[in-house]
Amino acid sequence: MQAEESRTDLGNIKIHKNVIASISSLAAIEIEGVKRIGGNFRSALLELAGKKNLAAIQVEINKNEEVKVDIPLVIKYGFNIPEVANKVQESVRNALEKMTNLSVKDINISVQAIERG
Amino acid sequence: MRFFTVLGILFYAAIIILIGLVFIAFSLNLINPQDIGSFLNLIQSNLNSRLITGLSGILLILLSFSFAQLILGRFQREKTIAFTTSSGQVTIALSAVEDLIKRLAGVIPEIKELRPDVIATKKGILVDLRVVLRSEANIPDLTARLQEITKNKIQEVLGIEEQILIKIHVAKIISHEEKDRKRKEIEKEQPNIPFGGYSRG
Repeated sequence: MQAEESRTDLGNIKIHKNVIASISSLAAIEIEGVKRIGGNFRSALLELAGKKNLAAIQVEINKNEEVKVDIPLVIKYGFNIPEVANKVQESVRNALEKMTNLSVKDINISVQAIERG
Repeated sequence: MRFFTVLGILFYAAIIILIGLVFIAFSLNLINPQDIGSFLNLIQSNLNSRLITGLSGILLILLSFSFAQLILGRFQREKTIAFTTSSGQVTIALSAVEDLIKRLAGVIPEIKELRPDVIATKKGILVDLRVVLRSEANIPDLTARLQEITKNKIQEVLGIEEQILIKIHVAKIISHEEKDRKRKEIEKEQPNIPFGGYSRG
């Protein structure tokens, strides 16, 4: 996985894509109405192999050092999906900007299923 | 990534065209069965050619997998409802909408089973509901109520203003007699144990 790199007077700071995925996951989960992070075939295989469910969250960093995050979600039954998705986008944007100082371009939410909370 | 996808598609197309050409050549008597036999013998006689053939086979299998994933991914991508916000795009899988509708079966006690099929078209959202009813309820009333509840729930949860068309197909009506018969059948399958209700001590 590619890492986001920035330079200080003392040296380089690299932020791994997994860190961005992890922050996004934690920020998304804490929103009321989010049941869990969704998954795909690849993430299911990685989960079987003992890896965390971070593979489901896709992180891309472009040449202008802008971050694009794709988050699959499972929403709790009874919640308004656009509202929850908006809250997740805001929460992830705030968390990423606060913790990494990265410029966030897009946070794409894909609602995969609805489950009873 | 896109380059490799295009390369894969071109390669796949080339292989299929080649197979087609071989078939045509065979039907036109341009290729003799003996030629094919000698070609296969040539491949098997040499270790290097066998190795190349094996590796080509593995490559073809991998390409097939990526090709299938590409096609399935494209189909999956189409089966969503999408809208854009200031922070990015939100896509809702139609299967999630189906999950939502399935939960509605609990709201109306007369419904025993509810199988939804949701299709997103340019005109709006098309919902096909296949229902199994518990008793001889008033079907026009019940279906009208179900249509109303489903429509309201989709609009409320998805926050969309597009047209929602709901088609209902009543597949079966389970009467009380049928339920009693099924219960008796279950009781027959589990016979009473003599003195089963008594315990020692």
